[in-house]
Amino acid sequence: MLSQETAAAVLDAALRSGGDFAEIFLEDRRNNVLSMRSNRIETVNSNRLHGAGVRVYSGLSSVYVYTNDTSLKGLLDCAARAAAAISGPDLHKAAAFAASQCPNVHIIKELPSQADARKKAEKLKAANAILKMYPEVVQGIINYTDSEQRVWIANSEGMFKNDLRVYTRFVVNAVASNGTENQTGSCTPGAMQGFELFDRTVDPEMCAHTAARTAVTMLHAPLCPSGMMPVVIDNGFGGVIFHEACGHSLEATSVAPGNSEFSGKLGQKIASDRVTAIDDGTIPNAWGSENIDDEGNEPTKLVLIENGILKNYMIDRLNSRKMGMPVTGSGRRQGYMFAPTSRMRNTYIAAGNDSETEMIATMGDGLYCRKMGGGSVDPSTGKFNFSVQEGYLVKDGRIVHPVRGASLIGRGSEILMKIDRVGRDMQMAQGMCGSLSGSVPTNVGQPMIRVSSLTVGGAK
Amino acid sequence: MDEYIRKLLAAAQEAGISAAEVYLVSNDRFRAMCQQGVINNYTVNSTRGLSLRGLYNGKMGYAGTEAFDDESVQQLVSSVIESATLSEDDSVQEIYPGDKVYPTVDNYQPELDAVTPEAKLNYIREAEQKLLACDSRIAAATYNMISTSSGSVRIVNSYGLDLSMRDNGCVSYINALVKEDGHSASESAISVGRVFRPEEAERTAKEAAEKALFMLGAAPVESGIYRAIFDPYAMGDMLGVFSGIFSSENAQQNMSLLAGREGEKIASDVVNLVDDPLLEGGYESRAFDDEGVACRTTNVVENGVLKTLLYNLKTARKAGVQSTGSARKAGYAAPVRVAPSNFFFKPGTKNLDELMADMGEGLVITDVGGLHAGANPMSGDFSLIAEGYTVHNGVKDKPVEQITVAGNFYELLKAIRAVGSDLVFPGGGIGSPSVDVGEIRVSGK
Repeated sequence: MLSQETAAAVLDAALRSGGDFAEIFLEDRRNNVLSMRSNRIETVNSNRLHGAGVRVYSGLSSVYVYTNDTSLKGLLDCAARAAAAISGPDLHKAAAFAASQCPNVHIIKELPSQADARKKAEKLKAANAILKMYPEVVQGIINYTDSEQRVWIANSEGMFKNDLRVYTRFVVNAVASNGTENQTGSCTPGAMQGFELFDRTVDPEMCAHTAARTAVTMLHAPLCPSGMMPVVIDNGFGGVIFHEACGHSLEATSVAPGNSEFSGKLGQKIASDRVTAIDDGTIPNAWGSENIDDEGNEPTKLVLIENGILKNYMIDRLNSRKMGMPVTGSGRRQGYMFAPTSRMRNTYIAAGNDSETEMIATMGDGLYCRKMGGGSVDPSTGKFNFSVQEGYLVKDGRIVHPVRGASLIGRGSEILMKIDRVGRDMQMAQGMCGSLSGSVPTNVGQPMIRVSSLTVGGAK
Repeated sequence: MDEYIRKLLAAAQEAGISAAEVYLVSNDRFRAMCQQGVINNYTVNSTRGLSLRGLYNGKMGYAGTEAFDDESVQQLVSSVIESATLSEDDSVQEIYPGDKVYPTVDNYQPELDAVTPEAKLNYIREAEQKLLACDSRIAAATYNMISTSSGSVRIVNSYGLDLSMRDNGCVSYINALVKEDGHSASESAISVGRVFRPEEAERTAKEAAEKALFMLGAAPVESGIYRAIFDPYAMGDMLGVFSGIFSSENAQQNMSLLAGREGEKIASDVVNLVDDPLLEGGYESRAFDDEGVACRTTNVVENGVLKTLLYNLKTARKAGVQSTGSARKAGYAAPVRVAPSNFFFKPGTKNLDELMADMGEGLVITDVGGLHAGANPMSGDFSLIAEGYTVHNGVKDKPVEQITVAGNFYELLKAIRAVGSDLVFPGGGIGSPSVDVGEIRVSGK
């Protein structure tokens, strides 16, 4: 809990040495994890994160100091340490706080802290019972996690806001084995919801089936061939390709210093005409949504690319100064241990008009990626790498058989131009995205898309 | 803190927790970056986190906190009881009464804590200047960072054990972006130690610049099977991502294919893998593990034979062996698992030049990427984006990028032809010399 009096005193102390903007972020967060392995509930762990961070700007320089000691003395000490890193006369006084009520568009029905832990355990057991029906599945790792994050954000421009963010997620990993070889499959849904996640959105048994089927399918799959070929990537988690290969390069963190291959390209064509891409923080109860971002700014629905033309970057407060462009509600952080920076929220390629069956039928020989694994990218060059969790070989426009061990490599700018089909059914999937300001929940998404040619790294 | 810990252990006992342990981590850290002469991401913190672990009706419960008020004492105790009550882990677990003797490990250099912020900021300013001065093709220092930390770990339990360990360190990292004729390349260099060495600014800048300039004009090679050497950085990354296969916990849970294979040959004769928490100056050196067990050196693989997996108290008891002192928490609030400390391929006799001369034609892989996606620690399969250079007539030839190397780590261990003498710990506890891995499948043009 942060009072306006405390916030005012801390902000004044932070600006004492010439800083021109100060902010305090205080967090109190309860995390719960229940984890099941080898048919047993193995870990039940709760943790209370508690701390605050003070940020001061002087021009384009920024200083961040954080602590667990949220007493007035601890916070003033924090502010003094931040001020000590800046030198100059005391020019500014913090503005009076405006009474700003933060609207809550993400309604929570059952706070996780109010839900009985035994009910959470039942969800794990339901998924585990399904995994046991698959004889080749030798191991299941099932996790339930929830989090209630209370934040208070105040700054020297008169902002004083607080918010509650509630997240619940259910993760099933299945390992199938034939004794000499193991393959994995996963299903990892979540939402900005409480325990009501299980009312409609998530069915633990369905999750277990999905994870087990992928693992078993891949266990019987031969190795994927390698080389350049057309690739169809299915909807949902397939969107990780856009997230990694393009999304990170549209974050101000890499655009502002000119380290992105998309720096200075607003208004230019960077993708094929079929591509419209959106970063949306406003979708009710979606995994990557927000009431306010971690700088207290209001959320936006941001068109990144419209019919192939670059329209917007994702911009946080500090980079907004550097770029001379407005913030986009994209300032995010894992918690008080990180200064915020520009991050993705719910980021997806919008639905197009192409038929899913046609795009496979006309692709010739290539790879159909039903489910992507994770990936990474170097934003300065756009080089990316993804693993394919569940892939199928396509011969002459027909899906022939599953293949394992495939990865996709290339450059973000290249793949965007080579998207020659965009399907109609857009779906999103949940992930945790790691970057400068820590690990934050993000949705990736897309309809089924086709890339005319891409390097497939296989083991054959 | 002593008073808080005493209160917490008393409250735990009062509530029927038969044995309890408090695990406390404190950390002070400084971190800053510099780009175009401007300091950014300047971050300073002092944080503490504490966890309570305890046996309730024979089962282990866990809870953690960063708030140290009276409310948190009750909260921790009731959370531990709830956690233990719901737990179905029926393996025998224990709070460790302690060893008679603990090794001496010195991970703390007081001089480092006295280095001023200004000296650290000058270091990264200079690193950027030196980098840009190296060559006109250097476009930017895209990541130029220094970080120092100083902290402690303390374990206090209801048997009267009270262990603590101080640790500090300094890390700097610089990434060079180079551009020429529409080509770009980006390479980095890192410095890790417990002494602040201003001259490292120039050394790392030059190393990053040289690596990046060499990579300009890099191209994929034809797809095919190549003779290959992994340099210490690439092999260190591989060993890091697959180190979990040596965990007894993974083996006992059917998540490592090394289960039940202790005493068997799992690698070629030249392979020796050591876990050495007592390594002088090691990044992961320590006197006791995260359960309070005294640390010791373990030969995991000797001449290709798997001598032992790594164990904590729980997995050792299940297997009927002694803990290897490998209990590890991923953070103060994380459950106790198994992980190596300083874990490395014991070096051989030949340096990289000699290994290349022996190979004649092939590839040296200097970097593998996409590890969290392209490497499957359960199956051992990997398919990783990679870069490096070709070797022609036994010497370094042309730069290579945008290829993938694919194979299986278990197979790779058996195929290793030689282990080099150039042991490097690239920024953590995992270390490797250059390793000749025989043949590897490459996907490129």
